[in-house]
Amino acid sequence: MRIATWTLAVLALAVLVLPPIVQLDQSLVDLRSAGQPPSFAHPFGTDEVGRDVLLRSVYGLRVSFLVGLVAALVSMVIGGAIGLAAGSLGGLPDRLLMRVVDGFNALPHLLFGIFIVALFAPSAAAVVVSVGVTHWTTAARIVRSEVLSLRTRPFVEAAVSGGAGRMRVVRRHLLPHLLPHLVLATVLMVPHAIWHETALSFLGLGLPPHLASLGNMINDGQRSLLTGDWWSSLVPGLFILAPTLAISVLAQRWRDRSSPRWRSELEL
Amino acid sequence: MTDRNLLRVEGLSVSFAIPAARVRAVSEASFEVRPGRCLALVGESGCGKSVLAHALLGLLPGNATVSGEAWLKQSGAEPVELIGASQQVLARRVRGRAIGLIPQSPATHLTPVRTARAQLQEAINELGSSARADDLAERYGLRPADLDRYPHELSGGMAQRVANAIALAGDPWLVLADEPTSGLDQPLVDRAMGTLRELCDEGRAVLLITHDLRAAERVADDLAVMYASRLVETGPAAGVLGQPRHPYTAGLVAAQPDRDFVPIPGLPPELTRLPEGCAFRPRCGHATERCAESPPMDGGVACHHTLASPDLARAPEIAKESHA
Amino acid sequence: MLEASGITVRYGRQVALDDASLTIEPGVVTGLAGPSGCGKSTLARVLALMLRPRSGTLTVDGDPVLRWRQRAPRELRTRVALIYQQPRLAVDPRLTLADVIREPLTANGRPDDGRVAELAGEAGLTGDLLTRRPHEVSDGQLQRACVARALTLEPRYLICDEMTTMLDASTQAHLVRLVNAYRERTGAGVLAISHDTILLNRWADKTVDLFDPADQKQP
Repeated sequence: MRIATWTLAVLALAVLVLPPIVQLDQSLVDLRSAGQPPSFAHPFGTDEVGRDVLLRSVYGLRVSFLVGLVAALVSMVIGGAIGLAAGSLGGLPDRLLMRVVDGFNALPHLLFGIFIVALFAPSAAAVVVSVGVTHWTTAARIVRSEVLSLRTRPFVEAAVSGGAGRMRVVRRHLLPHLLPHLVLATVLMVPHAIWHETALSFLGLGLPPHLASLGNMINDGQRSLLTGDWWSSLVPGLFILAPTLAISVLAQRWRDRSSPRWRSELEL
Repeated sequence: MTDRNLLRVEGLSVSFAIPAARVRAVSEASFEVRPGRCLALVGESGCGKSVLAHALLGLLPGNATVSGEAWLKQSGAEPVELIGASQQVLARRVRGRAIGLIPQSPATHLTPVRTARAQLQEAINELGSSARADDLAERYGLRPADLDRYPHELSGGMAQRVANAIALAGDPWLVLADEPTSGLDQPLVDRAMGTLRELCDEGRAVLLITHDLRAAERVADDLAVMYASRLVETGPAAGVLGQPRHPYTAGLVAAQPDRDFVPIPGLPPELTRLPEGCAFRPRCGHATERCAESPPMDGGVACHHTLASPDLARAPEIAKESHA
Repeated sequence: MLEASGITVRYGRQVALDDASLTIEPGVVTGLAGPSGCGKSTLARVLALMLRPRSGTLTVDGDPVLRWRQRAPRELRTRVALIYQQPRLAVDPRLTLADVIREPLTANGRPDDGRVAELAGEAGLTGDLLTRRPHEVSDGQLQRACVARALTLEPRYLICDEMTTMLDASTQAHLVRLVNAYRERTGAGVLAISHDTILLNRWADKTVDLFDPADQKQP
């Protein structure tokens, strides 16, 4: 718990503060210092074209985190809307929407993501779309089940009985109760989305190769592995692992504390 | 159960610190609970009666300030002062062993994912009791087979009996029942009250906390009426309900559907800003200037204008005047 | 008249209500007794158009109810108001008491015109209490707000489902008085559901029993 907090704090500070202060071009190619092991000048060494691995990892984390966050938001918006619609409409629309959810769940995420990315040129938008489109189903299920339990609660029933229309019930009574759950689900989705971004980039299908994304760096670094340059892929790998683990740990802790009832629903 | 068991509460006050205010939940409550008798503490929701019960078991939240004394005297054991006692003492000597708690809504008090038997057995083990789960179940009207069900498979009445069995697993001499009838229908209320009466007749003491005058009337030997954090009238149940002497008690009795069915005008005061003097003054038809001064508990009534029983009502007044 | 006939409700395989019939006449307090679990609350939700029965018919002043909950026409479902047993569950915990009472007005796009203050006053809720949220008031005060909310739209029928079970005698007497005054003023029909036969004897003009066949066949 404390380790997670510190990890996140240090990384956040690095990501936010380092790029503006260190006026170094992280894409600067310096073939003279290519493939250097960790040293005082380059604490985590340099890659095969001489770029500083630490600096590039920090920039990479920045890119990956941003892409992960936007992708998580997209999947929550899609999932939230569909879950809300299914839960509050009920009946046939509910059954149809939930079949769609089942259908999407049956698709292998990574393969489907590759398929979507393949339709576009490698770009951040393509990655966001591919992760968003494959990951909204969890949010849809969570929101739907919560709406189903809320809508038979007496206070929602009293509003309906008092003449409140569908939109009003959703806006005034359902959304405010769903929001904390959605925020939490989004936060929990971010690490997952980062993993997908890096996986796609690693396969060469994600972000454009010149961008310092963590996936791209590991992809580049794996060639150096053969020559014994372990640092150029290990460091970006750790940069993926540390923040994603830290976010999961913190979010789950927070969730357990705020509502124990939710413990079972998100643990996948 | 010897008559050396006794719970004596003296000058018990409880207040809570909340942002920008102080909630006075219980003010200087004094009463006694004896084996073989049932004391009902009646009052409307929010008057502080539940807080009083929780204070006795040391179950108040951290922002509570408690003063006063509550002595638990038991035959063959050192008396325990409950208010100052540590959680350890309360856990080892009081909760479940000397005082059993029958909860407000048994159905939600049971853990939904474990069988009734598992929860009853846990209580027995925890208390180091020699009782057997099946015996306890049968004693409180359950078939042993019922114990193997999960709480959602139990009817309201059965859940209540399970809760009773758990409360009594450690054979406590004092039973504390906090609103045991809320949300139950008449037959279940009758049965719950019957059980409490039986516990009394077995020689246990019962402290019943309820808003339901009629339920209290049926089972209680003694009655304590609470209004806005203060006990305003205490005495034998038949006397208090048959000939109420405090205007609030009289109002409550008259408000019952089989009496006048007339509400007491106004609302009770906020516990964050109790008025000076008698808290019932703003709603009381008998109020005079004297009521700006807090009436002391005297002869079982805390009122300057004690009703219906002229001798008693005047006695303190005359005494005071002659004193002056 | 609010007429329910042959109402059957099932939850899964469990029969919650079997072929129940009930008529609520305008201007009359009809008492409904019966043990818990006999389907009184289920029937209350059906009568308030909040639960679609498996079979049976419901008519409100001659208009048959064909759709339920939010699918029911707004004008039809606001003709029947429901007051619940537990006020804590029946109000949105984020709203102030004034908002709770005002909710039906804003939901129907009607102006306040001092109606909220008037209703709150009748229910015995004074100014300061109206700015509080549910967790800052007692059960009795909250139920007063719930009764005021139920009366906001002047419903033709009022279903009181164990309205006073959790309350002290004085608050009970006050709320029953409030409902009776409303009935006398508007001629609304009231269904008083309670396990308390003494209360029903005093409050209701007539009492029906869901399990009594003679009552089932009432015209």
